Amino acid sequence: MEENSLNTAAAALRHQVEAASLDSAEELEHFRIRFLGQKNGRITRLFKHIPQLPPKERRDAGRLLNELRTFARAKLEAARTSVTTEEAAVQGLDLTLPGRSNQWPGSRHPITQALAAIKDIFIRMGFAVAEGPEIEDDWHNFTALNFPVDHPARDMQDTLFVEASDQGTGGVMLRTHTSPVQIRTMLAGDPPFRLIAPGRVYRNEAITYKSYCLFHQVEGLVVDTGVTMADLKHTLFGFARAFFGDDVRLRFRPSFFPFTEPSAELDVWWALPEHPKGGRWMEILGSGMVHPNVLEAVGVDPERYTGYAFGMGVERPAMLRYGISDIRTFYENDLRFLDQF
Amino acid sequence: MKISLNWLQEYVDISMSTAELEEQLTLSGLEVEDVTSIGPSVDGVVVGHVLDVQPHPNADRLTVCRVEVGSDAPAQIVCGAPNVRAGQHVPVALPGCSLSINGKSVKIKTAKLRGVKSAGMICAEDELGLSDDHSGIMVLEGRAVPGEPLADYLRRVGSGVGDMTFDVVITPNRPDAACHIGVARDIAAVTRTALHLPTCPLPEDSEAIRIQLSVSIECTQLCRRYAAMLVRGVRVGESPQWLQQRLIAVGLRPINNIVDITNFVMYECGQPLHAFDYDRIAGGEIMVRASKGGEQFATLDGKQHTLPADTVLICDRQQPVALGGIMGGANSEVDKSTTTVLIESAWFDPSATRRTARRLGIQTDASYRFERGVDASGQVRAAVRAALLMAELSGGQIVEGCIDVHPNPLVLPAVTLRLSRIPVILGITIPAEEVVRILNALGFGVRRAGDSLRCQVPPHRPDVSLEVDLIEEVARIYGLDQIGEPHPSAVPGSVPLERPIDTRRESVHVLLNGRGYREIYTNSLVEKDVAEQFSDPSLGTGYPVVETLNPVSTSMTTLRPTLLPGLLKVMQFNTHHGQSPLRFYEFGHVFHRTAEQAVYIDGYAEYETLIMGISGPIRPKAWDDKDRDADFFDLKGDIEHLLAAFGLSDVRVQYHNQSEAITACQMTLFYHKHRLGCIAQLHPDLQRQWDLRSPAYFAEFNWTRLVLHAEENSRRKFTPVNRHPAADRDIAVVLPSSQSAGPLLETIRNVGAPLLQDVRVFDLYEDPRLGSRKKSLAFALRFGARRTLRDREIDRKVGQVVKALHELYGAELRS
Repeated sequence: MEENSLNTAAAALRHQVEAASLDSAEELEHFRIRFLGQKNGRITRLFKHIPQLPPKERRDAGRLLNELRTFARAKLEAARTSVTTEEAAVQGLDLTLPGRSNQWPGSRHPITQALAAIKDIFIRMGFAVAEGPEIEDDWHNFTALNFPVDHPARDMQDTLFVEASDQGTGGVMLRTHTSPVQIRTMLAGDPPFRLIAPGRVYRNEAITYKSYCLFHQVEGLVVDTGVTMADLKHTLFGFARAFFGDDVRLRFRPSFFPFTEPSAELDVWWALPEHPKGGRWMEILGSGMVHPNVLEAVGVDPERYTGYAFGMGVERPAMLRYGISDIRTFYENDLRFLDQF
Repeated sequence: MKISLNWLQEYVDISMSTAELEEQLTLSGLEVEDVTSIGPSVDGVVVGHVLDVQPHPNADRLTVCRVEVGSDAPAQIVCGAPNVRAGQHVPVALPGCSLSINGKSVKIKTAKLRGVKSAGMICAEDELGLSDDHSGIMVLEGRAVPGEPLADYLRRVGSGVGDMTFDVVITPNRPDAACHIGVARDIAAVTRTALHLPTCPLPEDSEAIRIQLSVSIECTQLCRRYAAMLVRGVRVGESPQWLQQRLIAVGLRPINNIVDITNFVMYECGQPLHAFDYDRIAGGEIMVRASKGGEQFATLDGKQHTLPADTVLICDRQQPVALGGIMGGANSEVDKSTTTVLIESAWFDPSATRRTARRLGIQTDASYRFERGVDASGQVRAAVRAALLMAELSGGQIVEGCIDVHPNPLVLPAVTLRLSRIPVILGITIPAEEVVRILNALGFGVRRAGDSLRCQVPPHRPDVSLEVDLIEEVARIYGLDQIGEPHPSAVPGSVPLERPIDTRRESVHVLLNGRGYREIYTNSLVEKDVAEQFSDPSLGTGYPVVETLNPVSTSMTTLRPTLLPGLLKVMQFNTHHGQSPLRFYEFGHVFHRTAEQAVYIDGYAEYETLIMGISGPIRPKAWDDKDRDADFFDLKGDIEHLLAAFGLSDVRVQYHNQSEAITACQMTLFYHKHRLGCIAQLHPDLQRQWDLRSPAYFAEFNWTRLVLHAEENSRRKFTPVNRHPAADRDIAVVLPSSQSAGPLLETIRNVGAPLLQDVRVFDLYEDPRLGSRKKSLAFALRFGARRTLRDREIDRKVGQVVKALHELYGAELRS
């Protein structure tokens, strides 16, 4: 073959390479074999003619065929990239199908959540946690807590009894508050004490949208040397800001409880746009300095030690937090309710 | 208790606004729950002075008035009333205010009436809601200042219109605050103003009354003092307006002048009084005694009572005439024909009064006050106050003298307050002079000696007996808002440890929430039948249940012996409401009676359990997953996961394939000798009884015990990771269908030791081609050691395992 005819053949091949369609894997393979195959590829075959050329022409012919082969390879590579990309997509994953979920979501009851929020704040302030029984005796539930013998809470109308009392003392009841846990803890150890007692308590109350025969409480107790009402206020205000937000309006108001003296209640201002005054004060917890009679009942010297105690319901702040208006909702456990927490 | 602002102002000068007073009372310990305005609203209505009156140019019946209303220029107002005259003081509704006229709200605007501008309205009484009078405009008598709010004018002239009522919460330690003088005393102490008490000249001793009346007290503990006075020639009739308005303001219904006066005095000074018709008191004789029990008595509200023992009875010569401290009798009641009134002013024991009132189910204004403790020094003063008013308002004549029997005077203590103790309790220092001033203002007699204040408790404060009580009195008047905040607080001396029961509970929440369980809270009180039905030995209980003596309702009589009925109720409720999935858990206390030594209260066992329950679909319907109902092994798997998380590997199990009262089948878990709990399928009868559509499974564990044993196992030591490769071998065997898998696993573990590291069941199937009543079980075995194992030794081990399975269970290796 002469150089001219080689050139012509190369030019023709170049046209064929340019025109070849490379839209599928089959076409790619066909192209590779047809032009670049090791034995019978058309470009490969042309190289075999080079030795037959006059020596001075071989060099130019080699360069020409190399260029042609590079061009064909480049075209093949470019096509291979786009074809493989396209083919992966052709497999047809429907990305819009929902993800597999092995389970429904579970959840904690809103009372657990509110209780945890309250507990966590006090735990961060260095309080320990203690628990006690729900069946209590008169001494732990009332007498040691300085309830007078004829206090109305000792009455059948207010408290659920398991064993009747005799003239106001003795008897076994469902605890009316978690304060007996304070008594049990103080009896079992020596000051200092710094603890909260969460738990379920009972009252003899008709079941309505705002009352239930049981509810949950968190009580707190701190007894040490040098503990004052200022510490109490500081702790409670700190708690309320952590729970309701830094900008909450608070009111510390004198009150009365048999087991604390002086006593005070903490109110938070609840904004209600519809209300003529723009909101109202809501009582969230009762507190005070532990009554000397209580300390004496558990063998703590009230001259040496002072302390404070506080107690709050869990349901009420939970209702405020989540905008729940009927307390019974908590104990119905409707999935449509639980779903929201 | 309701307190009237107008009434209060008789005893103390109040310069603050209603809102400030509300706040002040609350912050000094008398929480105001509600403030209501009494009578019509006259907001925006002011006093006007009519300067001149001209005829209207376009209307015969109208006049054009120039009225001074306090501001800049006089207002021009068109008026249609015939009685308007220059020089009058009249109520003027200014533009912008709203009046309720004939039941309709009318907004007053500046308008043109027949072409003449009118800026406001001169009002008739009916337009202000003060009366039905529409005969002409209201003319204000007495001192009236143009521009002052009409409400202030009305209050000043004591019209009773425009009063405010404060609903005050009286805590049990404030018996003194159940009257207007008591509340006024607090206000005077806070605002450093004087308290004005009504003058009551104490009567001269006189034979006159003793001739007509004798009083004796038998039960001197229950009735420490009995004072009595007589008023003759009274005319029983309506009380004057001012008295009626006072009573209406505090929520009382005026009855007649005599009864109204006793109520008035009670709300003034806190001493309950009773008025008898003297002519109906047999023998002119009053005797106070305790009832024997079982006596009958008709109170003046027309009700008949059988009296418990130790009820205080006020008797005449023949019969009881009143329940002391609670209510008078129908037989001695004052009525229209009464001419002589016997005023009783006594002191009855708080506890006894409370007991009787509760037993009889009668709560009265009198019992409310006696229960809290009334001023034991105030009986004569109150009787005189009432007698004087009766003389004045009913035309009666006071019989000279006063009977005052007090055989057993109440002596109140003197209490020492150390000034140095105030900062110890309150955390703030209050100047000594301020402490003394506050105590004096509250009625305490104070003698200072160095650091100590010797404080004589006044008779109106029987609740005060300790130093801290005095500190509380000082603190509430000084103001808790004087305690600075934030207050420097020390870090506690020791950091409390986390309790395992709390951290473990937390991990259960995380684990179960991730597995689709929702936490529930159920009532601890259930029906007795239900409690007894579920008190079953198969559930680890089966002891006598604990009932309450006074249940809230018949459906809540008994404490739950297990959380199971609560769980089933929630499953039932959600089934009824078409809700799923049913996957729940709860932590809660369970209860039963016990003869064994109790942890807390003898006779009662109480501990916390954790229950889990599932029923119905195992997971949400999905596009590439087959629906399936949850079964025993789903729950078992969750429990295995939980036990693994707790490091409890040493759990012994008892399987039970027979049905029991509550369960269709169950496995019970033990840790050493202790029962931890069980996993079970609910009995199909119960499943139907609770309306559950699919089989239900539950697991309940003694939570306290679970945590205890988990803690025993919690100290794990690190084992170095084995770098040598492990070798896996699978074997499949055919064996009788009835043969359970558990023992085979046990055998494989025993024989495979020590090289065998793990074994799992990875396939189970039954097929007729295996032979009748045969099944195939496949096990995946993993071998390893701290060296590289040779194939030969593994093959030998596998051979030993296969041989043992064959010998012990007739298992044939599948080829």
